[in-house]
Amino acid sequence: MAIPFPSEEWVRAYQEAINHSPAYKGAAAQWTHGVVALICNAQFPFLTEDVGIWLDLERGVCREARIVTREEAQKAPFCISGDYARWKQVIRKELDPVKGMMQGKLKLKGDLATIVRFVKASQELVNLAAEVDSEFLDEKGSSGQI
Amino acid sequence: MAKGSSMRGNFNRILKVDLSSGQTSHLSLPEEIWFDFIGGSGVGAWLYMKYATPAPDPLSPENPLMVLAGPIVGTNFPGSSRFAICARSPLTRIWGEGTCGGNFGPKLKSCGFDGLFITGKAERPSYLLVEEDQASLRDAADLWGKDTYQTHQLLRGRHEGRRGRAICIGPAGENLVSYANVNNDRGDVVGRAGMGAVMGSKNLKAVVALGARKVSIHDPARYESIRQAALQQIKASTPAASLHAMGTDASMELGMMTGDVPIRNWSVGEDFDLGAKLGGPAMTERYLVRPAACLFCPIACRRVMKNLRGPFAMEEGPGPEYETCCSLGTNLHNRNPEALLKANELANKLGMDTISLGGTLSFAMDCFEKGILSEKETGGIRLTFGDMDAVLKVMEMIAWRQGFGDCLAEGSRRAAARIGKGAEEFAVHVKGLELPYHDPHGWHGMGLAYMVSARGACHLQHLVLPIEQGIASYEGLGLKEDYQGQQSSGKAEMVKIAEDFGIPCNALLLCQFVGWCLKSEDFPSVLSATTGFDYDLNSYLKAGARISLLKRGLNHLMGMTSQDDVLPPRILTPYREGPAAGSVPDQDLLRAEYYVTRGLEADGKPAPRTLDLVGGLLEMKSLLYSEDRSREKGG
Repeated sequence: MAIPFPSEEWVRAYQEAINHSPAYKGAAAQWTHGVVALICNAQFPFLTEDVGIWLDLERGVCREARIVTREEAQKAPFCISGDYARWKQVIRKELDPVKGMMQGKLKLKGDLATIVRFVKASQELVNLAAEVDSEFLDEKGSSGQI
Repeated sequence: MAKGSSMRGNFNRILKVDLSSGQTSHLSLPEEIWFDFIGGSGVGAWLYMKYATPAPDPLSPENPLMVLAGPIVGTNFPGSSRFAICARSPLTRIWGEGTCGGNFGPKLKSCGFDGLFITGKAERPSYLLVEEDQASLRDAADLWGKDTYQTHQLLRGRHEGRRGRAICIGPAGENLVSYANVNNDRGDVVGRAGMGAVMGSKNLKAVVALGARKVSIHDPARYESIRQAALQQIKASTPAASLHAMGTDASMELGMMTGDVPIRNWSVGEDFDLGAKLGGPAMTERYLVRPAACLFCPIACRRVMKNLRGPFAMEEGPGPEYETCCSLGTNLHNRNPEALLKANELANKLGMDTISLGGTLSFAMDCFEKGILSEKETGGIRLTFGDMDAVLKVMEMIAWRQGFGDCLAEGSRRAAARIGKGAEEFAVHVKGLELPYHDPHGWHGMGLAYMVSARGACHLQHLVLPIEQGIASYEGLGLKEDYQGQQSSGKAEMVKIAEDFGIPCNALLLCQFVGWCLKSEDFPSVLSATTGFDYDLNSYLKAGARISLLKRGLNHLMGMTSQDDVLPPRILTPYREGPAAGSVPDQDLLRAEYYVTRGLEADGKPAPRTLDLVGGLLEMKSLLYSEDRSREKGG
């Protein structure tokens, strides 16, 4: 059954997908650089406020995943933000997140050299997001209350 | 100001120098030539058509060497400090050109000249001193034989206090190595197509520019507004931040994931460990002293590096760019970053294009490992992949044309012909120019761009790289939002747009990395604000098409045909592993679609109607379609 994005339920499903992926585990085995946060910008009327997704990643494992505020998300050492429509494209694999960051469609905050070193792990994270059976709020026509 | 009125930006003065007689004169062009061909290699190609057809032999005194700036060079626009050098290439024997950042372009403009048109041959080793409105030939006996670092140091000392800036050749240029480069201030080079050998053939060791004239801008307020917006866009750009942090080599590890990085003479599809060793993050962490910038550039992608340890110790100086990290790194299967630094330094000093040098070395290594070459031919050197001691030795032999180095000094195409025994299969070039290190297995559009670019395999005269790889998105050009690298169908249209858009950027002498951060309309806007010509996006793109067709026409006059618009065998052989496994560009489809889109005849010549439509090329039409088709001199 499809899970609304973004929601606590979606984040839990995503964490599960990450922790069951040998490909991610291998690619991120040396990741000791802390939390990666994703920020989905509010999009009226179906997403009324910015939503942060907090991913506590360590050596190929997602130790914690939860919904947070934008302010909290921005405290993470790595933070990628973008409009709802862009995240939808990423999850549907219609937008390569690296291209998205290069073209300014997604904004990255954090040490670029570290991101480049772990570009394969980043790619696996995106692949896993696409594995979550997602339902998008704009298509459902409801207002997003997280 | 409309087309036809008095322009700004350019001085409309080219300095003509005859090295044989020592005579100099000035040349002014009709203003529509500047509008139609912009500057740099665009105007260079027009000058070549006008004054040098039939094309002389590349190393003859008659082959003009043109050093050209562009209309925004000498302003403070970011990325505008470039210059171009053009001539018929001794490596490819067709149109040759290269561009370079650094500081020489603005200095040339400060002498009141938009360019130099140099013919003849000096009686003895000389250098050209260009000052405001004048020039003189000076003795260079004490500079001949010196490497580029020594030459710059000596010239700086000689013209100290007058803020002279120089370009020079090293021993490779003096010895007519076919891919000798021209060096500006140690780390900036006009690398491609052997412009250094043309300079060497004229006994011209260096050009020094001394001047203080300012470039006049047509609409300073509009120009400043565009400049400020550009600076903001650069500041907000992830590619610019990445280039600043890690240099051009920032892309290597990402490239390993997309099949962009050639390994072991284009025969291995992936090696992530190698990418981690030679990629931007590792090189930055271990060897970076500081980033460095061309004049007025906030990106600062250049690297100052040093390594004081071990057998490959290197003094503080210019570090390798991405292309060199591949040419003297991954593609030689060299896993030692310190050897890479050393080889880069040596190539700079000797004055050789690292792209062609690395391509020729990897070709020779392949031949050696396949038994086509042996120690008998190489003079006892075991030229195996990854052996950087051997590489450093052979580099010296090439620059001085000693022993087997004399063969490799000709580049991979002629070396393969000389070696025979099937060596051609391992020479990776288009029209004699070794491929830059963006792999068409992973990016078919780049493969087409290599096939049809005017100077042979070229990654810079167009904007195919940022467009196909999604690094930049330009609105209003008719491009798709996303291109799949390993797809050939439909790529011809993208390549044509990327050429029409990128070629004027190249003629304008605007750095491509700055161009990645700008919006489509910024390019014609800054050109208009500077010159006073009325460019819009359409006329800008048309100028790109016009310059492309002009250079293609010149190449046909020099004997090129559609048979030369081909990729080398290695690129048409699929990898067994990696992200581009099984993928090869569909050469026939790409070329057929491109010929239709570009308006070319079956033999690759621009069709008469195409030349009529783009305008400004009546003379080229007459040259191409006159009764006498045999216009090439010197074979």
